[in-house]
Formats: sequence, C-alpha cells, structure tokens
Amino acid sequence: MLEIKNLHASVDGKDILKGINLTVKPGQVHAIMGPNGAGKSTLSNVLAGRDGYEITQGSVVFKDEDLLDLEAEERARRGVFLAFQYPVEIHGVSNIYLLKAAVNAVREHQGLDELDAMDFLTLVREKLQLVKMNEEFLYRGVNEGFSGGEKKRNEILQMALLEPALAILDETDSGLDIDALKTVSEGVNALRSQDRSIVMITHYQRLLDYIVPDFVHVLSDGQIVKSGDKELAKELESKGYSWVTDAPKAGQTA
Amino acid sequence: MKQLRELVTPFASVAETSALPGGDLPWLQTLRQQALTQFSSAGLPSKKEEDWKYTSLWELSQQAFTHDAVNTTIAAEQCEKLALLDDAYRIVIIDGEYVADLSQLDGLPSGVTVQPFSTSLAFVEQQLGQQVALDKVGLTALNTLLMKEGVMVHVATEIVLDKPIGLLVINSGATTNLATHLRNMIVLDANAQATVVEHYAGVGDGVYFNNVVSEVVLAEQAELFHYKLQQESHHAFHVATIAARQAAGSQWHTQNITLGGKLSRNDVHSRLEGEQSHTTMDGLYLLNDEQHADTHTRIDHLVPNTTSNELYKGVLDDRCHGIFNGKVIVHKDAQNTDSNQYNHNLLLSRGCAIDTKPEMEIYADDVKCGHGSTVGQLDMDQLFFLRARGLDEVTARSLLTHAFAEDVLERIPSESIRQALSAVIEQCLPRGHK
Repeated sequence: MLEIKNLHASVDGKDILKGINLTVKPGQVHAIMGPNGAGKSTLSNVLAGRDGYEITQGSVVFKDEDLLDLEAEERARRGVFLAFQYPVEIHGVSNIYLLKAAVNAVREHQGLDELDAMDFLTLVREKLQLVKMNEEFLYRGVNEGFSGGEKKRNEILQMALLEPALAILDETDSGLDIDALKTVSEGVNALRSQDRSIVMITHYQRLLDYIVPDFVHVLSDGQIVKSGDKELAKELESKGYSWVTDAPKAGQTA
Repeated sequence: MKQLRELVTPFASVAETSALPGGDLPWLQTLRQQALTQFSSAGLPSKKEEDWKYTSLWELSQQAFTHDAVNTTIAAEQCEKLALLDDAYRIVIIDGEYVADLSQLDGLPSGVTVQPFSTSLAFVEQQLGQQVALDKVGLTALNTLLMKEGVMVHVATEIVLDKPIGLLVINSGATTNLATHLRNMIVLDANAQATVVEHYAGVGDGVYFNNVVSEVVLAEQAELFHYKLQQESHHAFHVATIAARQAAGSQWHTQNITLGGKLSRNDVHSRLEGEQSHTTMDGLYLLNDEQHADTHTRIDHLVPNTTSNELYKGVLDDRCHGIFNGKVIVHKDAQNTDSNQYNHNLLLSRGCAIDTKPEMEIYADDVKCGHGSTVGQLDMDQLFFLRARGLDEVTARSLLTHAFAEDVLERIPSESIRQALSAVIEQCLPRGHK
C-alpha cells in the first residue's frame, strides 16, 4: 500500500524529516507518536502533497506509483486522505457542495458517473449517521462556526464518503472531549477494513485506547527511533518520550 | 467621427439643441445651456483633480466617436439571452435607441409609469438634474447636453410593484465608435416600493462609449432596490453617475456590479435628507486583463437618525487596476448617524493593482461609524484543503474566489435576482494564476 524509504524533507532550508522508513500494508493501522517538533505534521503534509516542503532524499510509493510525483488533488483521487489537525473554515462554500465535489472528483478518476443531487443526498445521509451529525451541518459553510468536535467529525464524514485506500489522521484527537473522541473513534473503527490502511499521528496514547493500532512507531527528530505493537504506546505513556528520545541511537557513542 | 469635445460644438448655441429630444422645451434649453457652458469651460476631468487622481480620460478624449447609430439589429432571441430576469417588466435600448418590439411593459399596475426617457420629458421637469451637480464632473454636463434616451420610472404613492423593472442597454457593435449619453430617472412617491435593474451589455468587441446618468428621487418611506450590472465589451468606455435624494424613512438599496469595459468609472452618491432614511451601497468589481475600473461613492448624512451600510468587494487578476474611493460625510446636524463602510479586495496576480481609500468625515459628535479596507490573496490553507479533497487547483481557486465575491450578493433579498447575478459572476470570475 505505502512504502516510505529514507525520506528526507526540509522547510525553508531546515531539515525536518531525516530518513523515515515505513511500510504500511493493506488493512493495517499504524500509529506514529512523538514529542512536539518531531516532524509528525510534516510527515502527514508531505504525504498529502502540501506545497512548501522540499524532498531532499528518499521515495514514497503508494500502490505502485511514485506518490511524490503527484499533485495533492491527484493523490486524493487515487485514495490518499488526510484528516486535518486544524480543519479550515471556508465561508461561502457550503459543506454539501464541497462533499459532493470531492466525491465526484474521486468518481471521475475511477471512471464512474457523477452522482446527481438526489443520489448524493441519500449517500451522505447514511454517512452522517456514522458520525452522529445533523443534516443541518451540510448546508453551513465548510466548518464555519463548527466546534472543535464538529470539525473533526466533519473530517471523518469526508473520509466515510471518499472511502480512501490510505487515511492519514493528523492529531485527530486534539481538541476533543471524551464524548467527541468516542464518536470520532467509532466512526474511524467502522471504516477499518482489510483493504484500507490507516496512519494515525498522535501525541497522546489516549486515542489508541479507542482506535487500537497494529503497530506503533515513535518519531523523534525526524526519524523513527522505535517501533513495536500497542504495548509500546502504553510504555511510552508511563515512561515519557524521553525514554526513547534520549537513549543513544544505534551506532552513536555516548 | 469626432472627438468628444468636437461632438459638442454643433450645439454651440441653444437653438441647435432643438434637434435633441425636448429641444422645444424652454426649461430644458436652459438646462442644456448651463451644461454646454460648463462643459465648454471645464471639459473632461483631468488627473489633477483629486477625484480623478487614478483615472486618466486621455485615451477617451483622443478617441473619435459618432452619435449616429446605423444598421442596428438584435434578434429577439439574442435579447432574451442577454436579459437577466425572465419574470420582469423590460425596457430595451439598443445603440442608444428605444426598441419597443423587444420591450415588455404590458400589465404595469396603474400608477406606475415606465417609459423611454425621450417621451417622458414633460414629466421630469421638476426633478431632472436636481440630483447631480453639473460642475462636479464634466461627464455629467456632457450627458445633460446630449442626453437622448434612457428610462423614466415613476411609481405613485402606496404602490408596491409586483415585478422588477429591467433596463437592458445593449451595444450591438454595428456602429463603430458609437457614443451614447443615457439618462435615467427613477421617482418613487411616498410609501412606494420598486426594484430596478440596470443592465449594460456589449455584444461585439468594439470600441464605444456609454455615458450614463441615473437620478433617483425617493419620497417619504419609499423603498427602491436598485441594481446595476455592467457587462460592456472589453474595449468599451463606461462612465456612470448614480445619484439619489432620500426623504424621511426612505430606503435605497444599491448593488453595483462591474464586470466589463476597458475603462469604467462609477460615481454613486446618496443624500440622506430625511430622518430615518437608509442607504445600502454595495458593489463588486471583477477585473482581469488590463481593465481599469474606478468606483467613487459618497454618502451624505444630512439630518439626525439616518443609517448607511456599504460593502464593496473586488477581485483583481492579470494587470488590471481597480480603484475604490468611498466617502461618508456626517454633517454637523446629523446626530445618531449609524454608518459603516468596508472595501475588501482579493488580488490573484502580482501584476494587478488596487488603490483603496475608505474615508469618513464626521462633523457631528454622537455617531456610530466604522470603516476599513483590506487587500489580500487567496488563503493557502483553504486552497490546500480543497486540493487534498480532490478538487483541481483551478476549480479550487475559482470556488474560493466565488465565495469571496458571493458575500456581496448574499445581501440581496430577492432570490431570483441573487441567483441570476451569481450565475453571471460565475461565468466571469477571473481564474487566477499560481
């Protein structure tokens, strides 16, 4: 599904990612944890195709294609989905317009007919239930005046509609209270399937109680310094990030 | 063909103006004489004048024009296609001439008059020219001297008009370098309500000059929804002055949308002369290529307890130049004035320029006033978000641009007019470059 090899990226000449290696197979859920400034958001932005990052070394292959060679919209249409840490508000563009345009962009790429207004409404009503959202949200501006929890639910609604092959959830738990976290997690869990991969980026272990990962990686200073299963997250929670980040890296002398 | 100054010379004496509509009316002869004297001495405004600092009429003044339209033919079908609204009274002027066949004025309620200006002169004697100053802008003097056609709307006391009135002014492109001087007059008596849409459209791609003056007189409690859509050809010169006088409790809601023209200039002016009167002065300019569009607005709060609301937005692309200069004047006696004025601009390329200057002059001490302007670019986070959802860059940019512009249209209460204008704008949105 996704194969990241020795990925180096910099912003304004400053190196942020310093050799990431990660393989994600279909159906797997990977959690990437790490302290602030480790490069977690840079990794998700680079994978989604945001401008402003320079890839200095390495490669990313997604379903046998060079992902880094594609524009952000081309990645989205091929099934890469980024759930934003801070979903933007767009005044003047209704939520339903965006959702329909997004779904039809993917369908067009897949060689399917566009959904008309009626068919789309049927589909979106079904997905709304998944994230416990009211239909009224469809007719407001994109995320306009939404609470933090509503914005994140709206992201998962988009994921449910677009049915991506690879979903990258960037700090989806940030700014959520327990109830909202449960709703969002249930939405994500319902979307887990054997041909969909999920990469969760998070600072806290808490999210992993709700969305249980197959693998946990610790990102520190632009590299994955430790990998393991879900037990690793629990160990991190009790010992803190310094437990892995301060340990001398292999090959280094203290 | 002659330059504008020379076009005036045949009328060097009042006797010569008898060839123009109403030439035999003494009061009109007097008015035209004043206009002639004014134009002869002052001519076209120059960049030395503060109000014309950013707009040069040099090219206009050097251009040769004619007043004689030839071979005008616009098919009913084409006219229908251009018309903004289906369900509306319509008065059509093509190349400066009223076209009865394409107009639709059947079923007007009694007490409502909508007719070509040329046949309405007897009605307008009391009010014509009262709303505009001849000495301010040479173009108004030129219009007053040479005006031939336009529309006269009169709505009598208490009448609420059931449908909008559309004024459709078309330049067919049949006459090269045609100059027209249109004069519109809208008079609403007490408690009357009407909607008027002025629509200027160029069919061809030729050079021509449209010089428009619209005067509005609102009696007590009258309410006018007044829209102007300018879609002239890309080589046209379009100059318009729209001026209203408002009595107590009256409301004037204007929307001024500039899409076409090589050079355009709008002067919009309201005088709030009666208490509890209100002006909404909104507008939108969408410019690209090398278009030059200058908007000057002025709102005079003359008495206590009046309100005004102004929002102009601009979207600029390529190498165009936009100018917004809005002036709100709260006069000495105008206590309790509530006024706000905003101008926001979206720049889509590095080559375009905007000069924006919202101004307030306040001479009363108990007022609530706010104003401001912004100049910005598309939000990169929003753009990335849309692209990350599969929308291509061009679509994403145009969606965000449309959303920016749509803000102004949202203030239009009539859904049919809002939708019609929104559809036109959708077609004309500059796409923007990376």
